Amino acid sequence: MTGVPLNIDWQQILLHLFNFTILFGALYILLYKPVKNFMEGREAHYADMDSKANQALADAESSKASYEEKEKAFDDEVRAEKTRLSKEIEAERERRLAAARGEAEKIISDARVEADREKNEIIESAQKEITGMVTDAMEKLTLEQTASDAFDQFLDAAEEADK
Amino acid sequence: MTKQERKKAIIFFSAVALVFMIGAILTGGSGGGEEESVQVVMRDAVMHDVNKISLFGLKDVNPGLIAGFIVSGIMILFALICRIFVIPRFKLVPGKFQMILEMVVGIFDGMAKTNSKHLNGFMGAYIFAAGSYIFTGTMFELLGVQVMTTAGHPITLPAPLADINGAIMMGCLSYLVIMSGGIAGNGIKGIGKTLKDFSLPLSLSFRLFGALISGALVTELVYYYKAMSFVVPVIVGVLFTLLHALIQAYVLTMLTSLFYGEVSEKTEKKPKVKKQRGKKRVTVVNQDPAA
Repeated sequence: MTGVPLNIDWQQILLHLFNFTILFGALYILLYKPVKNFMEGREAHYADMDSKANQALADAESSKASYEEKEKAFDDEVRAEKTRLSKEIEAERERRLAAARGEAEKIISDARVEADREKNEIIESAQKEITGMVTDAMEKLTLEQTASDAFDQFLDAAEEADK
Repeated sequence: MTKQERKKAIIFFSAVALVFMIGAILTGGSGGGEEESVQVVMRDAVMHDVNKISLFGLKDVNPGLIAGFIVSGIMILFALICRIFVIPRFKLVPGKFQMILEMVVGIFDGMAKTNSKHLNGFMGAYIFAAGSYIFTGTMFELLGVQVMTTAGHPITLPAPLADINGAIMMGCLSYLVIMSGGIAGNGIKGIGKTLKDFSLPLSLSFRLFGALISGALVTELVYYYKAMSFVVPVIVGVLFTLLHALIQAYVLTMLTSLFYGEVSEKTEKKPKVKKQRGKKRVTVVNQDPAA
């Protein structure tokens, strides 16, 4: 074309445009879009991983809080149970102690009664024994000595017995 | 590598370079061996009025258009290979190549999201394609692909956007994309907002064309003279090309996404100010409760 500065040719401009349009389309379809899709997919993948990790972390924190709460409740329960049991044990101990005291007093009282009874029996037996001894001695005196002597001896024996 | 091995390698490469240099001098003509003067070469690099290439016999076109087709073909083939063999094997923990692909996509996607808060999905895809095309197209000139002109002599294919038609296409298309963002975000008002920057297509087009053509001209100049064809092209040809490929890809994509973000941003309704006659008091009516 004459008269156009720098030999600008509109037909060649359109040919350049046609060439670039094809290039643009091809590059977009073959290179730009797949690579960008891949990059976005990877970003989404890591974002997903991140959100899952955050979710898991939140769940773990929640579980930890729940566990700590349960542990605290359990500790409180154990403490209350311990208190209750120790009170029960104390009461049982008091009850048993009282029972033991009662039994001991009964044993002591029975023992006393038994001891009194035995004492009385011993005294009674001793008296009987003394009486027997005196009788024996009298019989011996009667058989071995004269009547006076026997009488004196009887008196001596009586005196000794009184002592 | 030991010192001795290193020394041997340096001597070997110096010898190879020397052989190439001698060969270049011996096979050359009197001055530079070029069929055209430097003025013609540089004028043609800007105007594209001498060296044309036949497009399947249908039309004679600028070499930049052919370069554009080849670059697009290479990029589409690369994308196809990546789509078939690489992307299905992507892993959650990326390898080196996957990391590079993700980094490139991530850069443009991030740029679109940062500069344009609304409707940035399409913008990311557009600046990815535009940035990749500018970068790859600019790096393409380093390959030095030779084609035959209609005049019957070979030329090296330039960067596609060093052709004014390619640069205008990119600038105007970017402007249209910006305008589409304005329409999508603000309807008819969006067109108005975009048209306020009416110089934008010109500045986008000619900034791109100027940057790339200046690189091409410097490279042409360097390669034109035989004396400058040793060592200098390593810096001028490779490093400068790499640098302006990166810079131009960044500048165009950044500007496009910035303007796109600006025009696609939804405008809040300004409260109507009503002045009462004869009184200085100003009453505000219809105030948006959200504002």
